[in-house]
Amino acid sequence: MSSARRDVSNRIADALAECGISLVASLPDDWVADLIKVVEADDRFTHVPVNREESAVGLCSGAFFSDSYAAAVMGASGMLTCVYAVTKINYTYEIPMFFLVSMRGAIGDTAKYQIANGIYFLDVLDTIDLPYRLIESRDQLGEIPRVHRHSRVYNRPTAVILSREVLQGEA
Amino acid sequence: MMKLRDTFAYMVSRWTDELVITSAGHSSGAWWELTQDRDRVFYLTASMSLSSMFASGIAFGHPDKRVWAFSGDGAFVMNPGMLFVERRMNLPNLTHFLVSNRCYGSTEEVDIPFTEHADYAALARAAGIERVYDFSDLDDFKARFDEAVLTPGHTFIVLNVEKAGKDVRTATMDGPEVKFRFGRHVEAVSGQKIFNVLP
Repeated sequence: MSSARRDVSNRIADALAECGISLVASLPDDWVADLIKVVEADDRFTHVPVNREESAVGLCSGAFFSDSYAAAVMGASGMLTCVYAVTKINYTYEIPMFFLVSMRGAIGDTAKYQIANGIYFLDVLDTIDLPYRLIESRDQLGEIPRVHRHSRVYNRPTAVILSREVLQGEA
Repeated sequence: MMKLRDTFAYMVSRWTDELVITSAGHSSGAWWELTQDRDRVFYLTASMSLSSMFASGIAFGHPDKRVWAFSGDGAFVMNPGMLFVERRMNLPNLTHFLVSNRCYGSTEEVDIPFTEHADYAALARAAGIERVYDFSDLDDFKARFDEAVLTPGHTFIVLNVEKAGKDVRTATMDGPEVKFRFGRHVEAVSGQKIFNVLP
């Protein structure tokens, strides 16, 4: 574990806490695995590992009906599996939620099985009109509260998409 | 085997302040038909198995409110892994009712092809859930209702019911109306602010 990677995970956790987020649902992608470990160990959050990413959509959408905020952490592959849940629950009922997602399949990802994400992931988000910010350096982590806040204005989900370089502490 | 309408009618007669989350298919339609309630119920139609997760989010945010989540076995077989998440959260104010009619209630009651050998209660126990009940007789359900439903503790209850034999239509509300009416009710009974607040 590089200290730079852990520093980024800590900064993201601080940003989530700054948002008032207290419930974090996750399913691991190896790029966000360290962030999940940090969240799990952080008393500011209740961390709920879920069985599949759609369960995180259900859980976080239900949590909307309280004064606590929630976030879902996953990889791009996982978020692609959430299209039905997002469009059926969050769009039908206009329920906000917030995603933190790793930008798998982009240039720099050496995993060939992630390539489809690099080709289609952002296009899918555009197609379903899901607003997102792509964060490619730690200087941009301050965008997290703004994107989270926008989900509440938009009354639908928003997402922060994190590059490999950010999550590895390289950018 | 119980009749859906009779089973739900009894539950409605015992319903006090629980927040109710219904699923696609007959649970939404039957609850709506019996209650016409637009405030204490979130009609979560077409979530394909996420009603208990949705209810878990509500129960997490309102530990002093009891939450009843309904799912059908059509949804359940899509995502039985929900039980592991429920068990890990172990919310004492969540009761998950699995309405088992062995068919896809919202799609002309087409048979579910996996149910002959399925034991949903055993699945729940295998997931580690401690309070698991399996009812096929309405008198038995009534007799044990207080123990099964009103006792605190995360609970999974299988309600084995006959097919409805007819189309059961859910509430006549658009999604945002469901959200606002239910959310306003939750705000009123909990004192928590849901709408018109920004982080």
